[in-house]
Amino acid sequence: MTPRRPVDVGDPDRLYTVTGGRSRADDDSFDLVTLVVSECEPTAGMQSEHVRILETCKHPTAVVEVAAEMKLPITVVRILLGDLLAMGRITARHPRAAGSAAAIPDSALLKEVLHGLRNI
Amino acid sequence: MPVPAPPSPHRIAKPRQRASAVPLIVLVVTAAAGAAACVAAPDNARAWVTGSVAAGWLCLAVSLVTGSLLVKRVRAAAAADHAEAAALKAQLARHGAESAHLVNVTLPTVVKRLRDGASAHETLAQTAPPSDPQLRRVVQEFASVVEETLRHAASIESRRDQAQGQLAQAAEELDQLTAVTLPTAIERLREGASADTVLAGLDWPHNPLLRVPAESFVRELAYSERRAAAAQAASAKALSRVQAKSVGMLADLRDMQERHGVEVFGDLLRLDHSTSQLGLMTDRLALLMGGRSSRAWNKPIVMESILRGAVGRISAYQRVRLHCSTTVAIAGFAAEGVMHVLAELMDNAANFSPPIDEVHVYVEERSAGIVVTIEDSGLKMADAAMRRAEESVSGHVTDLASLQGTRLGLAVVGRLAAKYGMSVNFRPSSRGGTGVVVLLPPQLLAQQRDPAPQHLAPRSAEPAPVPVPQAPAPQAPAQQAPAPQAPETAAAPDTVAAQAPAAPVLPAPAPAAEPTPPPAQPRPAAATANGLPVRAPGRTMAEAERERQQRRAASDAAAGAGTLSGDAGLPPRDAGSRFGAFHRGRQAAGEVPGSPAAPDFPADSGPPPAE
Repeated sequence: MTPRRPVDVGDPDRLYTVTGGRSRADDDSFDLVTLVVSECEPTAGMQSEHVRILETCKHPTAVVEVAAEMKLPITVVRILLGDLLAMGRITARHPRAAGSAAAIPDSALLKEVLHGLRNI
Repeated sequence: MPVPAPPSPHRIAKPRQRASAVPLIVLVVTAAAGAAACVAAPDNARAWVTGSVAAGWLCLAVSLVTGSLLVKRVRAAAAADHAEAAALKAQLARHGAESAHLVNVTLPTVVKRLRDGASAHETLAQTAPPSDPQLRRVVQEFASVVEETLRHAASIESRRDQAQGQLAQAAEELDQLTAVTLPTAIERLREGASADTVLAGLDWPHNPLLRVPAESFVRELAYSERRAAAAQAASAKALSRVQAKSVGMLADLRDMQERHGVEVFGDLLRLDHSTSQLGLMTDRLALLMGGRSSRAWNKPIVMESILRGAVGRISAYQRVRLHCSTTVAIAGFAAEGVMHVLAELMDNAANFSPPIDEVHVYVEERSAGIVVTIEDSGLKMADAAMRRAEESVSGHVTDLASLQGTRLGLAVVGRLAAKYGMSVNFRPSSRGGTGVVVLLPPQLLAQQRDPAPQHLAPRSAEPAPVPVPQAPAPQAPAQQAPAPQAPETAAAPDTVAAQAPAAPVLPAPAPAAEPTPPPAQPRPAAATANGLPVRAPGRTMAEAERERQQRRAASDAAAGAGTLSGDAGLPPRDAGSRFGAFHRGRQAAGEVPGSPAAPDFPADSGPPPAE
């Protein structure tokens, strides 16, 4: 036999099995920074990704962070979150509504911070 | 030899004497009668009478003499004839006696001597020859013919014996050939020996009639075995390249799925699905050809992933419903085999059920192992079909010759089931179709149950802290204690398994902040002076990965405690987690003061303006 390459280190499950064949989310309620909070504990028999999302989102967590935590593409995470939202197991909200724009520091200050950070 | 006596001549002599006496008496009587007549006759007539009497008497006398002479001569002739007849009779009798002697004595003697091996000349010399030359010739002729015949018979007999011997030998050799030699030769050829080796190593019959066909049979068989082996090896080799290609494609596709947006995601998933199906087909052929699966796993795979990995390889994966609540994992060495078996069985179930019906897969944890049930609601399998399926999944027949057309999947299932000790059974399904029950024996499962007693052991060994429920913090390090020690004491696979359950335990006491030191202990030892991580010998990548996760959890906890600066030593790996850490830090800091989070930013970003 030919010498084999090193054994696989990835996961055997393909993404379409994780999403059940769907390739895009049903609704657009999640963008990258939408905050997600789990509303209940994971129950037995749930899909393992759902369980991990519920555990990750015990505190409000952004979608992009959930994706990074689970090492899954954003699209997949959005589909999974859509499922959970439809089941009512999570709630989602956008981090700051437009009304709190005044609370955000002005751009000059941010530029200065950026400048300072680059100098570190 | 009794010879009949010749008739005596005395019997004829008396009548002959009497016959010669009769004329004399007649002559005397007639002479007396004539004399009397002459006397009695008158005188005048006397002279005439006397004359006529005398003349008559003379005539009579002459005729009588003549007659007697004739009789005498006839009698002599008759006597001569008689004697001759007697001589001939005697001769005939002698001949008869000789013939009888010849037939009864001489010829049997001659035959006997000739049979005993004497030559015709010797035999004739030793035998008294018959006096008659004809008979002598007959005997000579007879002897030579018999000698010839006997010689002929002897040569025929010897030839027959020879032929019989040859026949017996050939039969014996044929027996030997059929019973011993050919089976051995076939066995050796199957094991891969060459025709010349087999021909040289075995005892072949001497009879060319047997040896030639046997040799050509062996050569032909060796040729076809070699051809089969070459074809198999070539297929396996070619398939292994296809396998490597498809695995590479899967990795590439996964990479693309990460990198590209939602607009091509669906297409990538479709390609991924096609490639996965291709992988299943290639693996199926490769396993039949004696090759290997395209993938191999070095870590335990949880049952859910096994099922998903299996279902992702069949075309109708969306019709398969998985019901899996167990967290048990399959050991890495068997994971690919189990996945392939389940994929084949699910494919079978999906193909043989109506395209609108679902296939249900249940996983149960039993003491005998993991039971996976695949149920479809298609047609019930006929008894014969079920028997055939049972037979092919039993793994008893692994010869390629037993394959039926294009239905290769169950044969592969049989081989894998035999290899890993799985049992596969078909039964009618309660849903109306066919159910397949796969039992995965405990030796295929990752060592996940062992840590549980190990886990409990320290707790029971230290009864003192247990009854104190108000102090969970010291108990947590006590539980954690075996985990860092394990790398030194236990074998590598055990440590992997032992730490697996430890990971979920960790996040729970994390907010207490005490459990952070135990994972911190191995960290200094596993780093160079420059802070680069060093993998300890025997420590697996999976373990290192897990430790990194622990470290990150610890840093998250530290971030949750409000020390955002703690992240500086452990840079997060990507933008997402950096964002998350930032967001959590900001949130945690902002939670206590409530909504006015804005003052935090100047507080945190205080130093930059000062700089």
